[in-house]
Amino acid sequence: MFSRILRHEWRLLSGDATLWLVTAVCAAAIGYGVWNGARWVRFQQQAIADASAEQAKRYDALQTQITALRQPGASVSPFADPRNPSSLGGRLGPKYATLPPAPLAALAIGQSDLLPYYFKVSTDARENIVSTTEIENPNRLLAGRFDLAFVIIFFLPLLILALTYNMVSAEQEQGTLALVLSQPVGTGTLVRGKVAVRATVLVGVLVVLAGAALLITGVNLTAAGAVPRLLMWIVAVTAYAAFWFGLAVCVSSLGQSSTANATILATTWLALVVVAPSLFNLIATSFYPVPSRVEMVQAVREASDEANKEGSKLLARYYEDHPELATGDAAQAMTDFNVVRVAVNDDVENRVRPVVQRYERQIAAQQQTLDRLRFFSPAILMQSALNDVAGSGVDRHRHFISQLDAFHAQWRAHFVPLIFAKARVTSLDTLPSFTFVEESTAVLWGRVGTGVMALLLPSLALAWFGFRRLRRYPVAG
Amino acid sequence: MLTAVDLTKRYNDVVALNALRLTIAPGEVFCLLGANGAGKTTTINLFLNFIEPTSGSATINGIDVTKAPLETKKYVAYIPETVMLYRNLTGLENLEYFAALAGRPDYTASQLLEFFARVGLPDGAAERRVGTYSKGMRQKVGIAIALAKGAKALLLDEPTSGLDPKASNEFSDLLRQLSADGVAVLMATHDLFRAKQSGTRVGIMKHGRLVAVHGTDEFTHADLERVYLEHMHD
Repeated sequence: MFSRILRHEWRLLSGDATLWLVTAVCAAAIGYGVWNGARWVRFQQQAIADASAEQAKRYDALQTQITALRQPGASVSPFADPRNPSSLGGRLGPKYATLPPAPLAALAIGQSDLLPYYFKVSTDARENIVSTTEIENPNRLLAGRFDLAFVIIFFLPLLILALTYNMVSAEQEQGTLALVLSQPVGTGTLVRGKVAVRATVLVGVLVVLAGAALLITGVNLTAAGAVPRLLMWIVAVTAYAAFWFGLAVCVSSLGQSSTANATILATTWLALVVVAPSLFNLIATSFYPVPSRVEMVQAVREASDEANKEGSKLLARYYEDHPELATGDAAQAMTDFNVVRVAVNDDVENRVRPVVQRYERQIAAQQQTLDRLRFFSPAILMQSALNDVAGSGVDRHRHFISQLDAFHAQWRAHFVPLIFAKARVTSLDTLPSFTFVEESTAVLWGRVGTGVMALLLPSLALAWFGFRRLRRYPVAG
Repeated sequence: MLTAVDLTKRYNDVVALNALRLTIAPGEVFCLLGANGAGKTTTINLFLNFIEPTSGSATINGIDVTKAPLETKKYVAYIPETVMLYRNLTGLENLEYFAALAGRPDYTASQLLEFFARVGLPDGAAERRVGTYSKGMRQKVGIAIALAKGAKALLLDEPTSGLDPKASNEFSDLLRQLSADGVAVLMATHDLFRAKQSGTRVGIMKHGRLVAVHGTDEFTHADLERVYLEHMHD
């Protein structure tokens, strides 16, 4: 019986121009979205490759210079001397810490166009390297670019609602419902058949077209982690589709006219997909306003000026804090520019820290608020999940920044003792390098899984309510 | 086969059907007569469990329709006043689908075409889209669907309205055949002539009450009309 309903629904649906129109629109949007995503990923990869080439070229030149300086009589200004650890660790030899795009980054641009994905790491104060202030973006949770995530979050619900808003009411209005329900078939079975056909067609079309678009745009599906991410993507998209189908079943069961259903569903879409993200963002930024970026830049500059002015006093204090680095020759050290610079950098960091911390606290509070509020909008849940799958969200970036911080500390730990010991660098091979360590798949499943559950629970509740009500669908009178 | 016990349907203060007591045995053709709004369609909708009774019960084949609606619908076929079908499908595709829903998925195409021949659907129409059908043709498809179901009871809501006299007459013949095969028929109609011709009993309804029941052999067509009109005058 159920399979007969499926066949019948497919016959009606495939005979209807709506389905083919929807499929064509879907194909065009998916193709354009994936192409856009892939283009952005290629741009990022190119930038990273350029950075790495620049670094390699610079290091070759430095090594050549070090070799040349071994010749007797060769000389160079201490600022341009690669053997000088202060110059090498600061201006001459900084290395890049880069966040490579995840295997399926083309699926969602997410916030990867807002969050910096490479930094030049030197012995400078952290605040001169890592600028976390760029995160201030009013549209952070609205889809920014036309990528596949945008197609899924905005369009997929509309396509689902276009195919389902009148699935029961149209049969009621054209009069076939009475004849169908005079047969030994329940309203629930009928609607399950209708939903099954529509869901299979839509999700199938989406997955197949997106897969094809990924392959055509040259995304490597055999890359490490690509397959689990693709699975997560399918699971997340299915859960998101389930929510909208659940909603359609629920609204259909109310027994209203097709027009009323369309109005209710369109309003709900507007509220959940368009209004809620803006509103939640407004709430987060109103409750936890971020201090102005100008204020922060100003604080960094003032701190630098102050610290430079107090350079010599600072050094004395620095030696107090780090007695193991004091060589005893204080007079020599006082005049040692390099050493002063280390102390100044340290002082800048200490002075700026409260401002930066206030900044980071507010941003963390905003993020936390949004993390909680996202459970009230399937669109935000979906955006987070898709960003996670594509590796273009806040969490992977945070993971990157913590590795960057560790690398910055490692870099400084390598150079500072050399500076204090007034040693000369003879080889560049022993310098630390940065390699991004990807988040584990388990952690990723954990985050995506939470989002999927948060989508599935309301879907099931809506469907349960809908199917219960459908049993008493007003066929007549 | 079809039984109503004190079957009552109230909409707020309006009594659409008031304590209907009715039993229709296999082979009987019971014609419900009455003005529009007398409760004929309400009775049929209650038997189909399309609406819930306020009190009382309707049973088909001894089973309460509110308790096991899917079970009771296996035994009963329904032809509404206006049979509406899937316009984009052919008559044959419609018949095949409804027969499958009715629990008869295994008819061959030629068997299905035979049902169309029995109800007098014009040759070649079965393969055309239902969107091109006249009301009378759709009505015949509805009858074919009921025949294909092989139901033990028929619920007919003015099934011949819109049929030309010849088709109407053929329909009466079909009803007589079905009756002879032991099918119980409940037919709401305005057509006193058909009621007399194909019915075994007639019931006259007024303001939700079944006010009179007569055997059709009790009187001539003219008598039936007189009795009916007497009831209609208050």
